[in-house]
Amino acid sequence: MKNSAGDKDRTVLSVEGLVKKYGKKKALQGVSFKIAGGDFLGLLGPNGAGKTTTIKILTGLTKLTEGGVYYYGKDFSGHPREAKRFIGMVPQQSNLDRDLTAFQNLYLHTILHGIPKPLRMEKIDEALEFAGLKEYRDRQVKTFSGGMRRRLVIVRALLHEPRILFLDEPTVGLDPQIRRTLWELILKVNQVKGTAILLTTHYIEEAEKLCGRVLIINRGRIIAEGPPDDLKKDIGRYVLEIFLENRIEEHFFPTREEALEGCDHSCKVREVTLEDVFLKLTGRRINV
Amino acid sequence: MFNGFKGVLYRELSVFRTRAKKQILASSLSPLLYLIAFGWSFGRGVSVDGLPYITFLIPGLITMSSLNQSYGIAQELNITRFYFHVFDEFLIAPISHTEIVLGEAAYGMFKGLLSTILIFVYALLFGVKLIFNPVFFMAILLHTFLFAALGITIAMIVRDHGTQATVNTFVITPMIFLSGTFFPVDKLPYIFKMIVYALPLTYSTKVIRASLTGGEINPLFVFLIVMFAALFFYTALWAVRRVEA
Ligand SMILES: Nc1ncnc2c1ncn2[C@@H]1O[C@H](COP(=O)(O)OP(=O)(O)O)[C@@H](O)[C@H]1O
Ligand SMILES: [Mg+2]
Repeated sequence: MKNSAGDKDRTVLSVEGLVKKYGKKKALQGVSFKIAGGDFLGLLGPNGAGKTTTIKILTGLTKLTEGGVYYYGKDFSGHPREAKRFIGMVPQQSNLDRDLTAFQNLYLHTILHGIPKPLRMEKIDEALEFAGLKEYRDRQVKTFSGGMRRRLVIVRALLHEPRILFLDEPTVGLDPQIRRTLWELILKVNQVKGTAILLTTHYIEEAEKLCGRVLIINRGRIIAEGPPDDLKKDIGRYVLEIFLENRIEEHFFPTREEALEGCDHSCKVREVTLEDVFLKLTGRRINV
Repeated sequence: MFNGFKGVLYRELSVFRTRAKKQILASSLSPLLYLIAFGWSFGRGVSVDGLPYITFLIPGLITMSSLNQSYGIAQELNITRFYFHVFDEFLIAPISHTEIVLGEAAYGMFKGLLSTILIFVYALLFGVKLIFNPVFFMAILLHTFLFAALGITIAMIVRDHGTQATVNTFVITPMIFLSGTFFPVDKLPYIFKMIVYALPLTYSTKVIRASLTGGEINPLFVFLIVMFAALFFYTALWAVRRVEA
């Protein structure tokens, strides 16, 4: 496995002022950010915030209305085929061929991405090994569990050694235990192969556990950005929750002691999560 | 080179292999029924345009059946696009739209030619004598290409499965029945004749029938088939280009 495109800290992707309109509705209203080689960036936000739309634009599946997308400084719309070599994509809905085997699904990818014939078998074996699916090489994908399918889609997206991997809600609909094994796989991709990752999610825990930096997105706008710890520090490390008759009141404090001082009767002090950050910024919860 | 073309074709043929038996069996039934009902029973002793009816019918069955198969990839593309999202794999790969269209069209042609062979087998079984003019091979390739390209166009334009079915009911099925597959178009009332002469199937049926029954091939018709093929290739390309996942 390589960790070697030598793009550590080089800007792989630069996104400037993305706007996407569906008819009159604005799904994105000016989204900008950068990803450097080896980065692990999270796009955290509720359903309908514009996460999938962002990823579809960045992978060329949807056209943007305004703004610019640049891979290694080159305009994506001007050089789509060149840029697509750097891109790996794991869509929200698995797009495997159910009637084909794991091998056939991977083989198709090696053809489409122009991997030379002598290398194909080796790459496919390596991918199956990485995903822990070696014994399932010649089984039809329709016999696979949800977790196995996700793993297969992820290693398929890596066959052509992209420099950036897009993961759109990769663990949605999986049970907690399988989610954790998938997290391990994703972290391994980032750390062992050095692939930059842009992961979207509406799971707080996922963003906090995996991402070096998080963009919080709401209604097509980035409303906060930074490492999870910094974002939490900005509002205070601890929350005091006061249980009132029909709602919960929340107050933020830099230390646990200060928080405890405010607590007289039915209340609780706990550490701040990114959910609190979102709540504080928007007045709503990410997961309702 | 041609990674896109090869990839698309590899995918379609691999999927086809998993259901080849069922598909071939299913597509072989209806032409056989037509042959028995019209060619054998009702058509016995009848002659049309100076040919025994069954000899007249066979080329019509070839164009009908191969059209069904070639155009029929629209249905599969629809499923690929809306249910399995496999089409995204093509769109996300560093390949050109032309290659996607050509790969899908080649698959449609493959299916169309398979059903053509099947009708030849029937012709043999029913003792129908055919004369091969080399023009036949060119015409059947163009015919299957143009309807595969039409299928791609429609499949990329429609927004769901239902719209696709509507197009089939109101455009494709009437065209199949009226374009000279089962009876000569000259027998149609004037207004229908006008419509039918705007449809590509009319010309490919005329040319293919002439090329198999020793008739005279009208170069104008061949030219029109080429034009239709170019037109639908262009629309397919346009449709794939504008498609958004
Ligand atoms: N094809 C489409 N046509 C119209 N509106 C769309 C389309 N796709 C997404 N949207 C709208 O754009 C907004 C953002 O959607 P999406 O990017 O899918 O959100 P997320 O992935 O964060 O849940 C939503 O309000 C959604 O309804
Ligand atoms: Mg989404």
